[in-house]
Amino acid sequence: MMASSHANELLALTKIEAEGRWTNRLSKLDWLWFAGLSISVGILVDVFNSQFWFWQYVVLAVWYVTLIAVGIHWRPMQGAFLTVVTAALLGVWLYSIGQTPANDIVLRYVLQGYAGVMWMVGFLLAATIAYLIYFFTLLEKVGRLATGLTWAGVLMGFIGLGVRWRETYIGHPSWGHVPVTNLWEVMVVFCACTSLFYLYYESRIKSRALGAFVMPLVAASAIFLLWLTFVQHMDRIAPIIPALQSFWMKLHVPMMFVAYANFTIASFVGLAYILGDRSRKRGGGGILARALPSGELMDDMMAKAIALGFLLFTIATILGAVWAAKAWGGFWSWDPKETWALIVWLNYAGFLHARTSKGLRGKQMAWWSFMSLWVVTFCFLGVNLFLSGLHSYGKL
Amino acid sequence: MAKQISVGVVNHSRARLAVNFLGSMRLAVNLLVLLAIASIIGTVLNQQQPYQNYILKFGPFWFDVFRDLGLYNVYRTNWYLAIVGFLVLSTTTCLIRNTPRMLREMREPDTAIASAYEPQRMANSITLHSPLSMDHATQMVTAILRGRGYRPKTHESAADHCMTVVGRKGRYNRLGYILTHAAIIVFCAAALYNADIPVKLAMLVGSVRPENNFHIPLSGVSKAAWLPDNNPAYRGTVTVPEGQSTHVVYELVGDGYLVQKLPFHILVKRFHVAYYSTGMPKDFISNIVIYNNEGKVLKEGNVRVNHPLTYKGVQIFQASFVDGGSLLKMKRYMLNNPGADAIRQKARVGQSVDVSGTSYKLKLKNFSLDNVVPARAIEAKPVKGLKHVNLGPSFTYIAQSKSGSGAEFKTYMQPIARNGQSYFVQGVRTAFGAPYQYLFIPTGPNGNIGLFMKYLSALQDQVTASDGKNTRDYVLDTFKRVVADYAPSMTARAEALYFQSAISAILQLRAYPAPFIVTLTGFDHRWAAGLEVTKWPATIVIYWGCAVLVLGIFILFYLPQRRILVRLRTLSSGGTEVIIGGTSSRNPYEFTKEFEGFAVRFKNVLRSQDGKKEN
Repeated sequence: MMASSHANELLALTKIEAEGRWTNRLSKLDWLWFAGLSISVGILVDVFNSQFWFWQYVVLAVWYVTLIAVGIHWRPMQGAFLTVVTAALLGVWLYSIGQTPANDIVLRYVLQGYAGVMWMVGFLLAATIAYLIYFFTLLEKVGRLATGLTWAGVLMGFIGLGVRWRETYIGHPSWGHVPVTNLWEVMVVFCACTSLFYLYYESRIKSRALGAFVMPLVAASAIFLLWLTFVQHMDRIAPIIPALQSFWMKLHVPMMFVAYANFTIASFVGLAYILGDRSRKRGGGGILARALPSGELMDDMMAKAIALGFLLFTIATILGAVWAAKAWGGFWSWDPKETWALIVWLNYAGFLHARTSKGLRGKQMAWWSFMSLWVVTFCFLGVNLFLSGLHSYGKL
Repeated sequence: MAKQISVGVVNHSRARLAVNFLGSMRLAVNLLVLLAIASIIGTVLNQQQPYQNYILKFGPFWFDVFRDLGLYNVYRTNWYLAIVGFLVLSTTTCLIRNTPRMLREMREPDTAIASAYEPQRMANSITLHSPLSMDHATQMVTAILRGRGYRPKTHESAADHCMTVVGRKGRYNRLGYILTHAAIIVFCAAALYNADIPVKLAMLVGSVRPENNFHIPLSGVSKAAWLPDNNPAYRGTVTVPEGQSTHVVYELVGDGYLVQKLPFHILVKRFHVAYYSTGMPKDFISNIVIYNNEGKVLKEGNVRVNHPLTYKGVQIFQASFVDGGSLLKMKRYMLNNPGADAIRQKARVGQSVDVSGTSYKLKLKNFSLDNVVPARAIEAKPVKGLKHVNLGPSFTYIAQSKSGSGAEFKTYMQPIARNGQSYFVQGVRTAFGAPYQYLFIPTGPNGNIGLFMKYLSALQDQVTASDGKNTRDYVLDTFKRVVADYAPSMTARAEALYFQSAISAILQLRAYPAPFIVTLTGFDHRWAAGLEVTKWPATIVIYWGCAVLVLGIFILFYLPQRRILVRLRTLSSGGTEVIIGGTSSRNPYEFTKEFEGFAVRFKNVLRSQDGKKEN
């Protein structure tokens, strides 16, 4: 009798313990995600075994772990990733069977890199308008539409980039490169990344009001992209100079833009915080106080975006230094772009240090985050537009 | 991180005050921002330009002011290095001061925490009443914490009859602090080592002195400018013509240079440029051989952009390329005596040669093997699918007379076909930097401008002989006669085309700035590869420093230290009082949400009927 009750008790305890385990919180889809990625990576290794070198295995492993973690942490990523890969592969397949944008309607209007990017621009502009309407009306339907449009833009952007990667090889195999080599291509990456990370933060804080702050900047970038396309014709595929033909470029440039995306989001959340704070102090009757999430939440989101941006920015800068060591013979040449990267890094290092000490929170940090936008934008665009140096390939 | 400053220290000695100041967060933040602002200067002002440029830009007064502030080479000024030094000092102070405490805390047994904290006073806290017995409740609490990865430890306090459960996650979070700050210090130290400190010191005491004369042979360079081949770190450049070798590289220092001896010789066998179809360079490749003093080959291979060659810790990079003194075979036609035979001459790129019979000197500036231009620039209707054409070799030279008149010429070796007629093409410009004006002289059946020269000569003879006659007639008559004499095989159509082109060429020649035309008949091409040679033994330290930095940041941001403290006490009224407290070293907002989840779970499991009470 005693023994059986003891056994029951143990069983109950084990159950309690097991219920809390994180593996217990995984859904069937998560396991499928994990299995699918594992199999895909296995196939990749099997096919490219002979061509891979050490760092390619490292990069593959990092992708594998990151995708699993991100997919489980934020489930919509699973569907988005699959959609992008499937559509991009469809585009590549169409090209491989001899179809071209001239004779294939799907390629011409949807899957071609250029078409994908134009769709992205359209969706993101529409999403920005929807977010602004939502902000003033707080109509749930409009909010959902805004989120949906942003998702559509992000997907089309990444599909466009994926297909464009293949397109750089078509007709002139020696030109092939990852589409992150000129201002047009990196602006696409920037628009898509910023929107994607915005969607992530939106789903985390469960508030769509910040879209009215972040998305207008994305819209401005999208309009700049249109200008680059129709006035500067920078959408044309061109070969790349020898200095850019590096393995490290594939990592350095996109990672920089993911970091920029996070910094940009953080700065606009900072702006929202400042305005929301002011509105609440005046009595909280205004639209800002009604629509915006709590200050604490925005402060937290801002700090998180900066932390993630800082981590990625550090890695990307290091990758840039490794690349510079290979291409120019030195890690650091005090080239304007490098120096501005250091300035950005120091700025956010200062921010993070200030935040850990107790006195600085809230409004001051929001101002700091918002003003950092100018530093980041100068590093990203200003250096290429106004200063000369080794990074001059981003020029207009 | 600096919140534990001098607790309980009554006598603030000066040293302690200094340490507190250096280790303070305020100083760290200010230094970071100050360094960021100081760094801007060097990006706005072009660094390390010749001083004349700055004088022109700022005028003599501001030039002096800016020079004294070191703004022309900001990142090597003492004040900039002092800020960096201060930052390193501050980081080191923080690290030395905080590390022992953090290590102690990491190793600290959980029971120590149990007595040091009160769960009610923690950032998140809740009190529950459970009908279960204390022992039973303790087991439940432990199971929940274990399930969430908190590694619970129980601690019974006999004095007040209560039980404490301590759960800890991310115990090593502080390691992130130690790693990041240590990485920064290692980093700066390695960078200083790579920056060739021994040489800088030697220059300071005067045992090494840069050479300022750039026009002397290597053997003439003073011994004080030589650096030994066992120098621990260096970075220099050298230009080596194809087929030649070097055992030194040059390091530019201020307005002079140092000669760094290499532990081997580098022979450049061949240099090669690969092009895309658009004419854009695709790759620069030097084929080199490394050999020792005895001539034994140590290594052979290609050095390409982005693909350096490494031999025993010395890396060789493809940095640039120039013409290495190609031998050019030229033919010169005198315009004042076009009938005479062309004069042959040979010279190397970089040389200056006299033009016999004139007061002119030719300075051979450059030679390029390929000239790829858009097809549209040549033909109005390019062949379908052909977007770019290679015009073949060209060379540029400056012709200057004693009187000072002169021009720059760009001459293509091969005739260029355009609308059915081939031409000898030469670009001419009299002002440096101005666009070239192109001269098109039709080439005859034998592919050179000899026929044109004969015609020109015949015309000049005619002009003197037949003043006043019908101009149009004699121009055409003379042409027919010259063709009959020198190119009888020409078809009527070719003749017509040639005639038209010849006349426009003659008109073009009116504005021609030199009394001769030089054509290129052959060449012996020779490149010179610009190589950069570096030795940086601290590189591996920098790489590891980077890895540690990234790891540290990751730990710091994403593995926060979280603590849950649960105190259980048997109530006299029956059941157990359960007080739960929790803190996190980061993201308090997120932890609050996690804690709320915990509270719900505790309530369910402990079958508590309490409403939530949060402090």
